[in-house]
Amino acid sequence: MTTNTRTIQKPKPNFETKSWMFMRYSAILLIPLVFGHLILQDVIVGVHRIDLDYVAIRWASIGWRIYDALLLAFAFAHGVNGIRQVLNDFIQSDRGRKIMHWGLFLLWLIVTAIGAIALIGGVRPIS
Amino acid sequence: MSNLKTTMTGYASYRGREGHYSFLLHRITGLGTALFLIIHILDTSFVYFFPDLYQHAINLYRSTLFGIAEVGLVFCVFFHGVNGLRVAFFDLIAPRLWSVPKQRFSTKITLLITLLMWIPASAIMLYNMLYHNFGWFGG
Ligand code: HEM
Ligand code: HEM
Ligand code: HEM
Repeated sequence: MTTNTRTIQKPKPNFETKSWMFMRYSAILLIPLVFGHLILQDVIVGVHRIDLDYVAIRWASIGWRIYDALLLAFAFAHGVNGIRQVLNDFIQSDRGRKIMHWGLFLLWLIVTAIGAIALIGGVRPIS
Repeated sequence: MSNLKTTMTGYASYRGREGHYSFLLHRITGLGTALFLIIHILDTSFVYFFPDLYQHAINLYRSTLFGIAEVGLVFCVFFHGVNGLRVAFFDLIAPRLWSVPKQRFSTKITLLITLLMWIPASAIMLYNMLYHNFGWFGG
């Protein structure tokens, strides 16, 4: 009996493969981060107890700032890359995709920068 | 626009049963959460850029309309998270389990876990809303 073996060269991962992997690895990280944040802010604390002082007290501890920084970095990148995947199904021309990719990249950069500045700058007193 | 039409009719007319529904639900919930997150990062950043206006933003969150939307948002995040974990588990750890009967079963488990988390969370959020916005339960 003969066995046929075929060697397949694993292709070098391109950008889409990496983004596919990123969606899945970030997913595992997002479970504790996003679920924790949501259960804490929405269910345990509730929006009626959130105000400027609440945020100031939370951000006084570096641990929560790091937590929020991870949330900002991973949840938003995951979300924007997800929007890109969805839009890729609708926009098929190279030109259209290029415009869409750059548009989303700029959106991601600007919103992440705004969030990061707030996170580093912290709560400012009401003037 | 023909791409839009092809994709949308594919979404609507394809009959993939459980797998198809969970694909669509995963998309919609992911997009919904992402849209919320853009607004949410901007409103949180008010604490630094416009601290005077932060309370206005939070007051919107306290409104009855948002209170209802919040219940929906929590469903979106829970379903998307549990289903995403399912997808990541099959893709990264056990790709050999990607078979139709296993998917039918695991999508149902996903929905069950989501509901088990969502129903108590919604009850608490609704209680908070009735307490603060309508004066129920002595609020
Ligand atoms: C809670 C933890 C989360 C997990 C476990 C998770 C998991 C996943 C996975 C595995 C995918 C890839 C699906 C695929 O390629 O078929 C995905 C897609 C996506 N995720 Fe998440 N995610 C989470 C949170 C979030 C959050 C917070 C957002 C929004 C900011 C988000 C937005 C999206 C979007 C828009 C997609 C693209 C959907 C599609 O291609 O149909 N996800 N998610
Ligand atoms: C309606 C439900 C939610 C409430 C009431 C809420 C509340 C808050 C509050 C009060 C903060 C200020 C900082 C702190 O206290 O830690 C914050 C920050 C943050 N939240 Fe949420 N959150 C909600 C849902 C979400 C969801 C679903 C996500 C992710 C998908 C998310 C992601 C973030 C991020 C990334 C920050 C940091 C923003 C920045 O650096 O400017 N939140 N949230
Ligand atoms: C020409 C294209 C396609 C063909 C010939 C095809 C064929 C099939 C077949 C024969 C099954 C087994 C169905 C069953 O026994 O119920 C199936 C299942 C499935 N297909 Fe497709 N499919 C196609 C495109 C797609 C597309 C575009 C998607 C994603 C939107 C998709 C998602 C799925 C999913 C999620 C399942 C699992 C369904 C379940 O669990 O019942 N398929 N497909």
